[in-house]
Amino acid sequence: MTTEGLTKNKAVVWLIVLVVFVLLMALASFLTSGDKIQGVAPIGVTAIGLIIVFVIYFVTAQSDAWVVGTRQVVYMAIGAALYGVFNYIFNTIPMPSVSQVALRPSVCIPIFFGYAFGPVVGFFTGAVGNILGDFITGWGVYPAWDIANGLMGMVPGLVMLFADKKRSLNFLTGLVAVLIIIVAALVFVNPQVPGPWTGEIEDFSFWAWAFIIGGVVVVVGRFVLERFSVDLAAINLWGTLGIIVGIGFAAISDIWINGYSFATAIIGEFAPAAGPNILNAMILAPILLAAYQAVQSRTGR
Amino acid sequence: MLIAWRYRERDTIIQRLDPRARIIFMLTMLFSIIQFWDLRIELLFLGIAVLQYALARLTWRETRRAWILVSFIIFFMTVLTFFTGRGGVDYAYHEEHLIRRLGPVSIPVVGWQIALNITAEKSIFAVSQIIRMYAITIMAITIPYTVDPSLYGVTFRRLGLPDKFAYAMDLSFRFVPTLGRDFSITLDSQRARGYEVEKLSGGIVAQIRKLAPLLVPVTINAIVGAEDIIDAMDLRAFGVGPRTWVRELTYRRADKLLIAAGVLVFVASTVLSFMDVGDLWVPEVLMRLATG
Repeated sequence: MTTEGLTKNKAVVWLIVLVVFVLLMALASFLTSGDKIQGVAPIGVTAIGLIIVFVIYFVTAQSDAWVVGTRQVVYMAIGAALYGVFNYIFNTIPMPSVSQVALRPSVCIPIFFGYAFGPVVGFFTGAVGNILGDFITGWGVYPAWDIANGLMGMVPGLVMLFADKKRSLNFLTGLVAVLIIIVAALVFVNPQVPGPWTGEIEDFSFWAWAFIIGGVVVVVGRFVLERFSVDLAAINLWGTLGIIVGIGFAAISDIWINGYSFATAIIGEFAPAAGPNILNAMILAPILLAAYQAVQSRTGR
Repeated sequence: MLIAWRYRERDTIIQRLDPRARIIFMLTMLFSIIQFWDLRIELLFLGIAVLQYALARLTWRETRRAWILVSFIIFFMTVLTFFTGRGGVDYAYHEEHLIRRLGPVSIPVVGWQIALNITAEKSIFAVSQIIRMYAITIMAITIPYTVDPSLYGVTFRRLGLPDKFAYAMDLSFRFVPTLGRDFSITLDSQRARGYEVEKLSGGIVAQIRKLAPLLVPVTINAIVGAEDIIDAMDLRAFGVGPRTWVRELTYRRADKLLIAAGVLVFVASTVLSFMDVGDLWVPEVLMRLATG
């Protein structure tokens, strides 16, 4: 069978799996009278999310970004080992910390490996590296956080799906703008919701403006960084997105796993983990990339 | 820097089990635990977790560091959840019976009003949450101390992971001591040049940047060294056919029983959860406090 035929077959199998999954969710909602899965919203959101994943897979299945050869296997192993070792070392060495920002330099490893060697290497580096680090420190195995670290490495690797880095930045800028507009519009349409602290109805219009300002900062930041180097802008923006997606996934999944409230997940987990991680990655990942590019141009590999 | 695995050969019942059976059991327990909020059921799962921990014969001395950190996180997150409203998904409990209301307190600059309602449901939810998190953690913590790191590649291969990924996993576990040694050499070299990792000065950006002399040489050296490994593997036709493993795993009767027990618990938990058994249980004494 040709590669194209195999891809189509795989796509059909995945489509069937996704449809069955959504149908099971609908069935669960129906059998429990909406008690376990309330209403059509979560089912709809899950279905849309799965369709997006499916479309991305189908469109990019032929891309070199997903190829796993000997080179990728070795980089996966080295990346994971480095991430595990650095996690252990920087958790054990007494390090100073400034204000509330923890020095967690190891986070640049999955970002760099994902960006330089592709999404598969990035995911493996983050996920297995986290397992390794937890193994060496003896903290246990936590699947949601392992996947989260994998996503932190995978998302920067998606840059390889684009013809060049500049196009990837254009796509990312557009995506940020669209997401900000949707979120801000949703808040403006329905600003009165129960507050996480008091449980009483409060006006959240302020957050719509906060999102808009945040979005403008990201878009402006992209153009400022791009003036220095496209790579600098790309690794920082894709790295930041990776950290937000990864830590966001872990924080949200802990609402179900550990029973956190939404505020706890955001204030207690997402903000203290994502903030310092973004800062550490934004400073160290470009340095690593510059060093790697220098070695690459010297050795010609 | 000497990096040592937490794993020790102990010849316990737990260590004699197949690692695949252990991982499957851990996952079935995890997906079962998260279906309940009833404290009595959570205590049952905690009992299973503690039994596994006891059978693994782990000592307080070797696990102390992990327990202190994990306990801090569990209590901090539970308190934060208690202060910030309903924990878990919204359907953990629908109505609340007030025991006492603290506040509201006004925050000076932003003018936000913060009040704390201590309710019967919220209180028992916090206890249930602590028990649930400890049950999950005890299951998770036992793994690194009792599963041989050299078996991870073959374990995940036999669990269905493709050959290349399983091999990469095996390889990464083998790289750890080498990279630990490389880091140690780099740290000593930088210290000889006057670099002090314990006394980084400057602002946060400067401090993070000053860690680059430790990270960059170790990482780039590993990547450069990878070329030799890639060449060696390519010359041996890596990835052309299915791999064989030095150590093979075979399920024994005890492993099959463990997997069956795990699957049974998971199916029973799912059925019970769909029948609305195991929702948040509020003891009578708390309800009396609320109504009294």
